[in-house]
Amino acid sequence: MSNEKIVEIRKLSKTIGKKQIIKDLNLDLHKGEITGFLGPNGAGKTTTIRMMVGLMKPSQGDIVIGGKSIRTDFEESIEKVGVIVENPEMYKFMSGYKNLLHFARMHKGVTKARIDEVIQQVGMQNRIKEKVGSYSLGMRQRLGLAQALLNNPEFLILDEPTNGLDPAGIREFRMYLRKVARENDVAIFVSSHLLSEIELLCDRIAIIQNGELIDIKNVNEHQQSRYYIEAKPAEQAKQVLEEIGFTVHPHENGYLIDTEAEHIPGAIKLLTAAGVDLYAVQPHRTTLEDQFLEMTGGGEIAQAHTK
Amino acid sequence: MLKLIQNEWMKLWSKKATWIMAVLLIVILLANAGITKWIESTSPAPESDWQEMATMDMMMYQDQLQNSDMAPAQQEYYEGQAAIAEYRLANDAAPFKIESLQQQVLDGHMMLSLVTLFTVIVGAGIVAAEFSQGTIKMLLTRPVNRWKILTSKYITTMLFGLVFAILTFVSIALFSWIFFGTGDGVFLVWNGSEVVEGSYWAEALKLSALSLASTWMIGTFAFMLGTVFRSSSLAIGVSIFLMFVGVQLVFLLQDFEIVKYYLFTHTDLTQFYTGFMPISDITMTMSLIVLAVYFLIFMLISYWTFSKRDVTA
Repeated sequence: MSNEKIVEIRKLSKTIGKKQIIKDLNLDLHKGEITGFLGPNGAGKTTTIRMMVGLMKPSQGDIVIGGKSIRTDFEESIEKVGVIVENPEMYKFMSGYKNLLHFARMHKGVTKARIDEVIQQVGMQNRIKEKVGSYSLGMRQRLGLAQALLNNPEFLILDEPTNGLDPAGIREFRMYLRKVARENDVAIFVSSHLLSEIELLCDRIAIIQNGELIDIKNVNEHQQSRYYIEAKPAEQAKQVLEEIGFTVHPHENGYLIDTEAEHIPGAIKLLTAAGVDLYAVQPHRTTLEDQFLEMTGGGEIAQAHTK
Repeated sequence: MLKLIQNEWMKLWSKKATWIMAVLLIVILLANAGITKWIESTSPAPESDWQEMATMDMMMYQDQLQNSDMAPAQQEYYEGQAAIAEYRLANDAAPFKIESLQQQVLDGHMMLSLVTLFTVIVGAGIVAAEFSQGTIKMLLTRPVNRWKILTSKYITTMLFGLVFAILTFVSIALFSWIFFGTGDGVFLVWNGSEVVEGSYWAEALKLSALSLASTWMIGTFAFMLGTVFRSSSLAIGVSIFLMFVGVQLVFLLQDFEIVKYYLFTHTDLTQFYTGFMPISDITMTMSLIVLAVYFLIFMLISYWTFSKRDVTA
């Protein structure tokens, strides 16, 4: 990871009518890094992404990609960007190959050889001459990925890329994105409502709510090590644990204690010695979902998550 | 830009509808020639005496010339026609029969309203379809400014109109050659001072080119509506409605000054060479200026909305 800055979002605002949808958003994206973009429905994810790819015009502020402003040098700034916006809609009446040829012609220096290379990469060589109308959703997603990779992008923007993919497809897609980020040093920006997906894929997560960026955090940041202990009788177990000196939080049918792994065997011995029956002792990790709900106050995302 | 036009051309001809339009056009022209042939063979017109017709024409034209309230272009036309009729009688130079390659080609420009119809369909859909298919998102997230994309689409629409016009011209020539063959006759023109023999091909091309002004304007209008409203059916409906009703409105408006600035007073440029002018005090130059102004307004509205629009759907 070179950590070189490739995208700068500066004081980005968007007002539609009287409503301010995006408020003063600042964000940097770096080469080789996958950044997840999370937020409840209606928080402004899609609007932000559409401004980043030139589908919408910012009301205020700017987006600078590779040193070029999207407002003043649109063509240069978007030259090295690959985009998948929601379901990649292709020309259904043309073959996959003609679709790729169509998009290749809109970039500088994408050769026929490059088109073939991308087709190989996404594994579509057998059906590329067939009409897109006959493709399954998974195939269309792969073709969508292929068109985004044609110009060897330095920056990939994906809006809900795994919508409609089956678990195997999602896994394959994730592996592929990781590979592209690492090997080609590409910066990737992914919006999704699938929290678990983002957690598995991303190095960094930006959270947006009501048009404002409320947090940016690294995914594998060191978490406070916690253990979950389930024992009966519960009251007695709590007492023992508190006597050892742990802070005890009730959780589900047992308790959570903040401690490191080396203290666990001792605690278990003391608990059994006190005549407590142990049912479970396991490390506890707060999932991204918990953290997310904590930060955004829950509600909307929970619905989005179960969709 | 060439690559963008290539793209639009590829998309256009990848659609079945485009091929259906081409086939339909050829079938209509074939049927037209076939029916003319059929009528001729089943109920042949009484061996008409062209001399008698020419005499009648001459009288009619001279009668028309008494009418003082006439445009210079119209006056010149009638003078020319009267002179030609006189010349034919004097020199025993027969005109072409309707059922001949020459006359069919000369009248070919009248079939170009079919081309206008198809150009309207293409122009109305070429931007609107990108929105309805959702492919606009893929198209606008490329390193190509929006005005270039719109320009490529506009040029493609006009190119389509031109190709269809050529197809029409060639089909008419081919079918009338097959059905009627070349007939006897002389094509005569009035060059302002005397009657001379002219080329009917050149005349047919001139009239066709002038007819295309109407295809161009109505096509541009449909293109604008499709771009602004993103609905091809609306754009096609309104354009075709105006294509028929717009011309009728000229007659309703003929007593008002405003008619001189009304689009459909000017769309038919052949009126300066065929003697039929609903509004007599206009000239070719004036028509060209009015058409150019309308064209600029249509283009301005199209470019402005297309490049400013936030794509949300």
